[in-house]
Amino acid sequence: MNDQLLLTPDQRDALQEVTNIAMGQAGAQLAQILEVFVQLSVPRINITESANIAGNILQLVGTPQSVTAIRQAFSGTLRGEAMVVYDENGCRDLADLMGYEDDIDRDSERELLLDVGNVLVGACLNGIAELLQAKLSFSAPTIMAENVEVGRLINPQQLTWNYALLVEVHFTLEVRDFTCHLMTLMPEESIVALKSALDAFMENF
Amino acid sequence: MPTPILVVDDSVMARKMLIKALPAGWDVEITQAGNGLEALAAYREGKAEVMFLDLTMPELDGYGVLETLQAEGLNSFVIVVSADIQPLARERVRQLGALAFVKKPVEPTQIESILREYGIAL
Repeated sequence: MNDQLLLTPDQRDALQEVTNIAMGQAGAQLAQILEVFVQLSVPRINITESANIAGNILQLVGTPQSVTAIRQAFSGTLRGEAMVVYDENGCRDLADLMGYEDDIDRDSERELLLDVGNVLVGACLNGIAELLQAKLSFSAPTIMAENVEVGRLINPQQLTWNYALLVEVHFTLEVRDFTCHLMTLMPEESIVALKSALDAFMENF
Repeated sequence: MPTPILVVDDSVMARKMLIKALPAGWDVEITQAGNGLEALAAYREGKAEVMFLDLTMPELDGYGVLETLQAEGLNSFVIVVSADIQPLARERVRQLGALAFVKKPVEPTQIESILREYGIAL
């Protein structure tokens, strides 16, 4: 791999901390929507060849279960894709927590996943952008896949990138067995831009 | 004599940010810990009259540190410094004996006013 793309230990640490701060804002919003306590994870960061992205995502999500995911593209100082991955029970759980009865139809369920995903992506990525003095805009969220195996979420052949930076956080609820993963994928030129933004950020301390 | 303070966070960056936000004239001896277990070890060596404690950490998290201190009847001025801004997180750490809660990124003026509020010598 091109050394220019590797994060130094300091850059990795700073990205982890910046992500942690932003995730706190996203988690607080999720807690407010669902009226439950949300547990935050330690952010995980990985630079991978595009061909290995699917395997990396599988490893981060943990189990080869079927998932539903939404995606949102972002552009600006940094460019890439954000995804929120819900496990099989995730949709049901969200609907329950938000007070829907059993009769929620598929369209309302999708809308719920898109809305929650949009809140998490917006809070998290805007939080990172704000700390790093970057500017981002987002596409509308869309359903990326429904009930597919985690490993099939992304078809590496459709990616035009050689390498990607993968940043993963997950939100867990205490009251039930619910976890959703928020993942951000960025291509080479954004990795380079991110590294300079992290260096500039670290110079303040 | 300098006040022994302990800065606990798994991120080196976060510890630097916190240390930079400490009041300028405060005479302190700073020890750093990267997780809850290291924090407890430093505490037991008398290095934590004041502890700045992160919540989300590997090995043993901030809640675990507070629970241990409480279960063993130990006292330290613990100021939780966290990105977790849920009201319930704040309430829980208070119940576990933390004096105050500061959200990340840390505002220097906030640290100083908390220290003054609790009469910690500056």
